[in-house]
Amino acid sequence: MTVLFLFVALGFVATAVIGLLACGLDRKVTARVQYRVGPPLWQPFIDMAKLLGKENLIPAGASQITFFAAPLVGLAAVTLVSTILWLNSIHPARGFGGDLIVALYLLSIPSISLMMGGFASGNPYASLGASREMKAILSYELPFVLAIIVPVIKSGYAIRLGTITRFQLQQGLTAGNLSGLLAFIVAVLCVQAKLGLVPFDVAEAEAEINSGPLIEYSGASLAVYRLMKSMLFFVLPFFLIMLFLGGAHSGGWPRCALKYIGLVALITVIRNTNPRLRIDQTVKFFWGPVTLTAAIAVLLALAGV
Amino acid sequence: MNRETVLQDLRKKFSGEIVEFMEKSPKRVYIEIKKDSLRKWASYMIKDLGARFNIASGVDSRAHIEVLYHFTLEDINLIISLRVRLKKTDLEIDSLGAEYPAANWIEREIHEILGVNFKGHPDMRKLLLSDDWPEGVYPLRRDYKEWDPNAIRDRGV
Amino acid sequence: MGVKLNALLKSPWVFHLSTGSCNNCDIEVLDCLTPRFDIERFGMLLAGSVRHADVLLVTGSANRKSMERVKKLYEQVPKPCLVVAIGECALSRGMFINSYNCPVPVDKIIPVDVYVPGCPPRPEAIIAAITKLIGKVKKGAEKS
Repeated sequence: MTVLFLFVALGFVATAVIGLLACGLDRKVTARVQYRVGPPLWQPFIDMAKLLGKENLIPAGASQITFFAAPLVGLAAVTLVSTILWLNSIHPARGFGGDLIVALYLLSIPSISLMMGGFASGNPYASLGASREMKAILSYELPFVLAIIVPVIKSGYAIRLGTITRFQLQQGLTAGNLSGLLAFIVAVLCVQAKLGLVPFDVAEAEAEINSGPLIEYSGASLAVYRLMKSMLFFVLPFFLIMLFLGGAHSGGWPRCALKYIGLVALITVIRNTNPRLRIDQTVKFFWGPVTLTAAIAVLLALAGV
Repeated sequence: MNRETVLQDLRKKFSGEIVEFMEKSPKRVYIEIKKDSLRKWASYMIKDLGARFNIASGVDSRAHIEVLYHFTLEDINLIISLRVRLKKTDLEIDSLGAEYPAANWIEREIHEILGVNFKGHPDMRKLLLSDDWPEGVYPLRRDYKEWDPNAIRDRGV
Repeated sequence: MGVKLNALLKSPWVFHLSTGSCNNCDIEVLDCLTPRFDIERFGMLLAGSVRHADVLLVTGSANRKSMERVKKLYEQVPKPCLVVAIGECALSRGMFINSYNCPVPVDKIIPVDVYVPGCPPRPEAIIAAITKLIGKVKKGAEKS
């Protein structure tokens, strides 16, 4: 029981700190790319502290319990996933069979909690943003699952994170083969959409629909949502590293940190060089080329390439 | 068609209703008409000449209130403005907003700002003034007086 | 000075509120967000919704129709909130002081903390005003 509690502390506190630092790094790099000085690296911590000190206003027309509980549900899901990932990195033997499916299931909850919060707000802009978020979820979940099937196939049909990372230690990275590489590219695009970053951030388009589902949130609830997003910014690339790039075992922790920074840099570059897609373009993109590539990757993996 | 033929046709067709015909510049012509013939003029300009109703404007000259209707003929680069003078005791005129939707909003605005009554307008509500504006007070008339006791009109320095 | 106030001053999110302006002051406020006069280095972000705002940048002379809406918007901002009046029209209605549609200046409707004169004020003036506002709030907190 003590170890579990420690891991939740690690799963929550460490994830939050690394996630917020990564968000700060992303903002700094974006500013430098746009030829301006950006905020300091620890700016997201100051944002969190400021938001916790503001009033928390709940609109009268909203369903009060859902409005208040939606961000907490998302935060709880992200904390559980990060606990599973940390557990598998430090003690791979203590993972359980099927924890990959549990992690996948829990990773879809943050977007749904954003949608719930939007629909519970009682504001037409929020409903618009939440319905766009719903369409986006429907579009990118399928290629994400297809891309995750590839490492499962390659490591001998094992749906256990510990087995997949140990397999990569012996047989080489999943992303080293053709099918693995295709699946990795598809997974990176789906992660970009899950994080709600340009070019797929139509659900929370900032100035277009006045922040979409988050329009009525203020104070502590908004802080919880932003914390959830920052923690996702750590959890999702770490998930991808464990499945495709060997996790924390091939090469040790310093190499894993380098892999994580590389993935964050890739996400930032994609974010800075692309315009925002409309919702119908996003859906067509994910159901068209991306699903096709993911299906080809699965077939190639079955064929053994 | 060109400018000369258009103006000659106008003079011939409406010879009884023109009070004053002023060709101000090659592009602009001001025609003062009698107020009862407004609908005939409008239907001739829009249906027969193919002009476009651009905008209307209202002026408070000291003796009268004038309403000008501006029609444009873009192909020959001509703007024809029809001027109607209304006496301040008899501020009624037929509404063009009933037949031509282009004149709907501008007539609402002239009504609330200058007090001209457009007979037959389908939807005479306030357009620009706020909801707590008193009835019967018309801001752009020359004899408008400050009615609001809470208004602050000095800079305080 | 408390942690709350310190964090508020280091990461103020601005919301731009135009109460019927000619848009010149709005363009100058937008200029502040461009790379040349970058205000993100002070931690300022453009907030999309009024409930995310810490600083309200008010432009334009409040006319009768927008007076009630400005009041409602000010009530919807989570306190603590600072208000900056930008441009002559927001200070004292400028040239519209005798207009039938602008009865009172903005600071009789909502409490204003900093005034930025100019028609329109330069982005450097707006940044200087926000810096002076931060200094004034710090000094006020230290005294009390």
